[in-house]
Parts: sequence; structure tokens; C-alpha cells
Amino acid sequence: MVRELIEAIGEQAVVWHDEDLLVYEYDGTIDRGNPDVIALPKTTDDVVNLIRIANRYDAPVTPRGAGTGLSGGALAAKGGVIIGMNRMSTILDLDVENKTALVQPGVVNLDLGAEAERHGLAYAPDPSSQRACTIGGNVAENAGGPHTLAWGTTTNHVLALELVTADGEVQWIGHETRDEPGYDLVGCVVGSEGTVGIVTQVLVRLVPRPTAVRTMLAVYDSVRQASDAVSAVVASGIVPAALEMIDKMTIAAVEPVLNTGFPLDAEAVLLVEVDGPESQVEAEGARVEGILNRFEPREVRSATDPEERETLWAGRKGAIGALGQIMPNYYLLDGVVPRTTLPDVLDGVYEIAERYRLPVANMFHAGDGNLHPCLLFDEREPGATERVLDAGGEIMRLCVDAGGAITGEHGVGLEKRDYLPWIFTEDDMDTMKSLRAAFGPTENFNPCKIFPKGHGCGEAGHQHAQHQIAKFGPKAFV
Amino acid sequence: MADADTTGVTELERLFDHVDTDSARLQPYEIDGHLPRAAARVETIADVERVQSVATSQEFAVISIGGRTTLELGMPPRRYDLALDLSGLNQVVEYEPNDFTISVQAGMTLAALQRTLAANGQFLPLDHPRFEQATVGGICAVGRGGLRRNALGGPRDWLIGMRMVKADGTAIKGGGKVVKNVSGYDLPKLFAGSLGTLGVIAEVTFKLRPQPASDQVVALHTDSFTQALAAARAAAAAAPFLNGCVALSGQAAARAASQGADILNDRPALVLRASGLESAADEALASALAAARSAGLEGEESRSPAIVETWQAIADLELGTPAGHTRLRIGLPPGNLERARSLIAELVPEIGSWVAAGDSGLLLLETPSVDADTVRTLRNQLGPLQGRLTIESAPQELKRSADVWGPPGPGVRLMHRVKEQFDPQGILNPGRYVDGI
Repeated sequence: MVRELIEAIGEQAVVWHDEDLLVYEYDGTIDRGNPDVIALPKTTDDVVNLIRIANRYDAPVTPRGAGTGLSGGALAAKGGVIIGMNRMSTILDLDVENKTALVQPGVVNLDLGAEAERHGLAYAPDPSSQRACTIGGNVAENAGGPHTLAWGTTTNHVLALELVTADGEVQWIGHETRDEPGYDLVGCVVGSEGTVGIVTQVLVRLVPRPTAVRTMLAVYDSVRQASDAVSAVVASGIVPAALEMIDKMTIAAVEPVLNTGFPLDAEAVLLVEVDGPESQVEAEGARVEGILNRFEPREVRSATDPEERETLWAGRKGAIGALGQIMPNYYLLDGVVPRTTLPDVLDGVYEIAERYRLPVANMFHAGDGNLHPCLLFDEREPGATERVLDAGGEIMRLCVDAGGAITGEHGVGLEKRDYLPWIFTEDDMDTMKSLRAAFGPTENFNPCKIFPKGHGCGEAGHQHAQHQIAKFGPKAFV
Repeated sequence: MADADTTGVTELERLFDHVDTDSARLQPYEIDGHLPRAAARVETIADVERVQSVATSQEFAVISIGGRTTLELGMPPRRYDLALDLSGLNQVVEYEPNDFTISVQAGMTLAALQRTLAANGQFLPLDHPRFEQATVGGICAVGRGGLRRNALGGPRDWLIGMRMVKADGTAIKGGGKVVKNVSGYDLPKLFAGSLGTLGVIAEVTFKLRPQPASDQVVALHTDSFTQALAAARAAAAAAPFLNGCVALSGQAAARAASQGADILNDRPALVLRASGLESAADEALASALAAARSAGLEGEESRSPAIVETWQAIADLELGTPAGHTRLRIGLPPGNLERARSLIAELVPEIGSWVAAGDSGLLLLETPSVDADTVRTLRNQLGPLQGRLTIESAPQELKRSADVWGPPGPGVRLMHRVKEQFDPQGILNPGRYVDGI
């Protein structure tokens, strides 16, 4: 098979020596997978040929972008071929009048943002990994980011796609103005985690770049005060562009590395951003500041200048990287709950972490109710990984019991698939699988992702999940 | 077959009090001249499950019906045994205002939903014609954004969860109750816009927005639709955050005026809407008006004190075409609107009314004089402009001779496969959707 892959796309575009494969064993999660070979296509035709070759050899196919994913979605769970999309990284067209861009999937999120900015436009989804992650990966995971509070996630910004399905057929789906009559197949593909095909071109919607932006940072002495301030902002009728929180453990990690000026003894920092026309930003900014001040902050800082704003954001966007200062490994969760339950769920998260003797750092999209508890550990310590996974399962269950879900923007992937029955019945999941079947022979396409079970998916490695499921029962919100 | 059919209806009558077979009472469910043999009025999701279960065993063709505002949409049904009337399934299921989400049953009208939300200073940003009748389930099944879709998007953008009943009576769900969620495939998006061909939408959960502090609607009058459209394009370019930017021909304006749009008369007009904080709405309107004036619009601007009524009368232009007329809906990139307008004006001899969203490329026109050949020519010529033309309402003759949806797009092979997976017997709204689905 390797020989055929090389014949199809050239020797430089195929990676198969053991030492070179190591890089592709990981993504941003704890899990790993062992691919047999990596193929790096340059064109849609390349992708078609690669998929057909893999199909002939009955080899699993796993699409991959930058490998920054946080659910194991890009791991070759059953070996086989990883199709890495990084070399398809051209912005093909940018239509300023109609506010759209046609891009290849390997385009880096921030590069698209920068190109849009040159034309007075913006690409709204902005995951924290935006310096590295690709649009194709964003489409697969329906990526979000701090600014999705006002603008929605990737699915709200993708208009049409070129898709190579599992049987190697090329399909354009969707339409520039969403006026093509028929089923919303784009809506099905976005967030399908690479399980129905590989996206080879993406037509995205751009939005007008706000003429003014104001970022406010408020420091609080308790997480409760900060949570209450979040609720008050949301209830006020203002929809901020972003509404983020970081807690004490996160501050302790970022402060020495990034010198953000956060007081080390503060319990929580809130970041609120408003954008739009100048007059609106002025008025909304003043109102938000008034609300933040009602909850007795230690201080409120405010910036409108791009550089100063960047400094305020640095502590949030660089948080994950900085956590390495405290412990060598982390397990980042992605629970999402109804907003009003956020303070109680946060209390629960701290309680669980304490019970499992794990340090936890919280940084999250407070306005969306999307939590990212980050459990810190050292995998070299015997039993630590199991403890982390158990605690993670318990936190996910806490979110489900609060009326929420197991993932807000990272995807189910390999990591959380055993927990899907906590929110969906067999009938729900069978229906989803029937949708997948419509896209062709997809069993070998990014196998072992999203849905529980599956032959040869390393069941042993998922004992921890079975454990938690046995403990809490199979169903919660069904 | 006749025996089986009778058995099926009897079975339904045994299960429900609300099964009608009397032809007079079936009249409201008429679609393109076809009447069902029975209508079932359901009040719970369990009712829907039972109806579908019987329908599957009897191979009844079922059409889900909500507020009956858009029955004219689509091709005539291939078969029509049972009207599944969901208007009685109309309760609020869960509403916690501070979560900014609401779950309601599919048969609730948009107006009733908005009244519930308004009591808490919130609203669902959907702009739908005849919202006193139209149900949220029907709006999702049709799945389109309206004249303000540039600002509001469509149902797909506000839907976060859904409960459905499959063709065979199995109740399922997708999404959830949280505003951000990637747990499992996005079934609500698949069902939005599927026109009842994949399953019955029984309950929907939306994310919500706070009502804006200020909401303003202004009209500028002019002499021709062409001028109004040019001004709409200029206004949209100058003020990208408008909450409505619609050009109307004289006839369209007159109809909206007669329905309560107090700022319109029988002259072509540009109507602008801006919402948000007072200062922001003022600013957006001022830049839009200045741009419209530089584009040649003159005369006094009139500001509406009755914003909801005025805008509803404009939104209602999306429906209610006079008998004998055909209504065409064309969606295209907004930059191509003016070229599309002149192209259409050359090909269609008599155009009754025009309505266009200048910021999103939606063009609606009504005409008494269009045939299948003209529609084909229009589609061919609009193709290069990325225009998609749908016949929304037409005399039976035209509906029979021209495909209302137009030639299917490249994704159609996948669509048939999705349909086969969800409705293998082909009993849900057969024949009315794209490419005979």
C-alpha cells in the first residue's frame, strides 16, 4: 500500500518510517494512536486517489489538520493511513463585496483572519489554538472560541464545502447564500469529526470587522463574585463579543510566564469584550464596567488599543501552555451547562478535583456556559492517568446532570465516546449512524470516534470509562 | 389496498378522539388540489409516535401540518393519506430566562412564543411571515431565513436542540439545551429545512437574544424599484450592521401599507431598520440614510412608531400572492442583485411586485406572466450570477410543467441517500421536496 501511495502523490508526501510517525501519534489529548503511514496530499484528486488506495487495502483512514485537537479526533485509533491536510493551505479567493472566502482546509485559522482583516473583514471563530489550527480541523470539530458568544461557532460561518466521501466521490454541498434547495448537508458535515469524509475546500462567511473594540479585565476575590458578575452581564441585555473567566490556579501558571500583572492571590479574573460601532462600544463598555464594579472587584482594567488589548488577552489565550509550569501533563475538559447552573457546577468541579487529589485550573467561556476544567498531573506517577480520567468522567457527569452536554467545542472524538450514552439513547445514536451510512462505506473512516464500542478500538484502554458508567448508570438526559 | 386503508383509518380512530375523515373538515388540509383521507390532531409526542407507527404499518403517506401558512411550497404531493396536524402540540416545555434558551412544542405559533419571551425582555430573532399562525415546527421544517436574514440568519442558526419522531414512530432527539454543543451529529440542522421528509419535528429548543434597547424603522420613497434597489445596496455597504434593508416596488409597498405598514404608500421605497443601543442604532441609520441619499433617493424620510406592525406587514410580502400570479424567490450574492434585476426585467414582460433584501441578496417577485420556458431561461441566466430560483407559489399548470425547486444541485445524490436512511418506505411528504424526494 505504501508503494501505491508513493506512486500516487510522490515520495516526499508519504511518511512511513517509524521514527517519523511518532509526531503523528499524538494530538492535544492524553490518548495516542499508531498510524502505519501518513499521506500529505496537495489536491482534491490526490485525496480521492489516497482514499481509493486505502479502501482497496481495507485500511482505516484518519483525516488530520494541525493535530491541536482536544478529543483524540485526529488519532489513528486503528492504525492505517492518516491523511494530513497541511499542504493544502491556500486561500483561493476572497470576495470583499459578498463577504466570503474560499479556502483549502490546511489554511491556518489566524492566517485567514489576517487576510480578512486586510479587507476590513473578520473570520469570527477563534479557537485558542488559532495560531496553529486549520480551517479543515475547525470544520471537523465545529470549533468555537471566545468570540462565539456573539457570533456563533464554525457551523454558523461555513456556507459550502467540497467533500471527498468515504467511497472516494467528490461532492460540492451547500451554496454561497444557503439558497440551494435541499437538506442542510453542510450542517451535517460541520462537527462530524472527520467521520463522513474529508473536506477539501471550504467557502466561509466573513463578517464586518468591528470599528471599535473594548476589552475589560476585572479581578475578583472569589469565584462566586465573578460568576455572579457574569450572570449580571448576561441578564443585562448586552451580548458581549466575549465573556471569559480564569481562576486562581490559572493565574498562578500564567503570571510568572506572561507577566500579565494579575495579582497572585486573586481568585478569579473576568475578561469581557464588547465590539461594534464606536458609539455602541462606548455605551456598552460603560454599562459593562458598571456591572463589573457592582460585584466588588479588586480592580477593573480597560483597553481599546490593540496592543493593550492583546496584553489583557494574553493570560487567557496562553493559559494552557503556561500550565506546564505547574505539572507536566494536563487533561482539558469541555463540559457545557445551562448558564444559570454555572456557579454550582464550578463548585462541584473543585470538589471533585479535591476528592481525587488533583490540582485543577479553570479557564472558560463563561458567557456560553462552556467550562474547560484542566486537571493537572504527572503521567509518570503510577495511577495518575487513571485518576485523572476518572475525575474527568465524574466532571462530565456533573455537567450532564446539570442539563448540559459532554462537549461544547472540542468534539467527542476518541476520548469521550464512551460517555455519549449519557446524553443520547440507542435510538438517537442509531439515527446518527444512519446519517453517517448515507455518506458511503464509512466504517473505516476515522474509526472509533464519536460512537461508543466498535471492533478493534482498544476496548481495554477504555476501562476507566466503563468504570464511571457503571458507577453512575448509563443514562442521564435521555 | 382499499381494505388496508380503511383498516388503517379505523385503527387511528380507535387510538384517538381527534381523527377526522369528514371531507368538509379535511378542506383546510388541502395541498395543490389534493385532500388527505384523514386528519389526526395530536396533542402529545406519544400521539405522534402512535400515528407514525400506524402509518408505517399501513404505508400511509403522511404530511405534517402546522399553521398552514406555507402549504403552497413544493411540488404537489405524490400521495397524501394522512394530515398530521401538530397545532395542538403547543406548550412551553422548559423556559429559564437567565439561560437564554427555551424548549417548546412544535405546534406553538411564533407569535405565542414571542409573547412568552417578551414578558422577560427576550426574543427569538426570526422574521417569519404570518407569525400569528405560523408554528415554530413549520418554520423549522421550511427552514429559511427571511428578508432580514443578513442580520438574523435562519432557523438553523438559533436551533440548539430538537425532538423528532421518525417515520416508523421512534422518538429521537439531537442537540441539547445548551448554547454550544458538539456532542454527536447535528440532527437539528439536518431536520431544519427538510420539509417534513425525514421525520416529524415534535419539540424544538432555541437560543435567545435580549430585546434591543432601541429599534427603529425608516422609509425613503422614490420613483422606481431600480432606484430603491441601488440605494439599498449603497445603504448596506455603508452600514454593515443594519437589522433590515429592503427595497420595495410600488405595488409591494401598497400591499404592505394596506396591511398596516404605516410609513409606506403606493410609491417604491427603501425601508431600513436598525436595532441595538440607542446611539448605535442612530448611527447605523444615519450612515445608511446618507448613503441612500447619495445614491439618488430624495424626499422626506418617514419614521414608523409601530415597528412590529410595519415590519410584519413587510415580512408578510413573502406570502399571499394574488390568485393567478406566480411568486418567484431568488437567492444570490447581494453584489449580483442589480444585474439579476435587469436580467429578469428583460425576460419577464409583466412584473407585479418586487421585494429585495439589499444586504443579503434575496429577491422576491410576483408576476401574472411566466411559463415553464421562461423559468428555465431565467434559471440558466441566473446560474452564472450564483442565483437560485424557486417557484414558491404558482397556478397548478405551472407547478406541473416546471420543477418548483429547479435542477438539483450537486449534493442531490447524498440527499437521496439520507432520505432512504430516514424514510425507507417513502411515506413522509412524498414527492414535494427536491428532485422528487
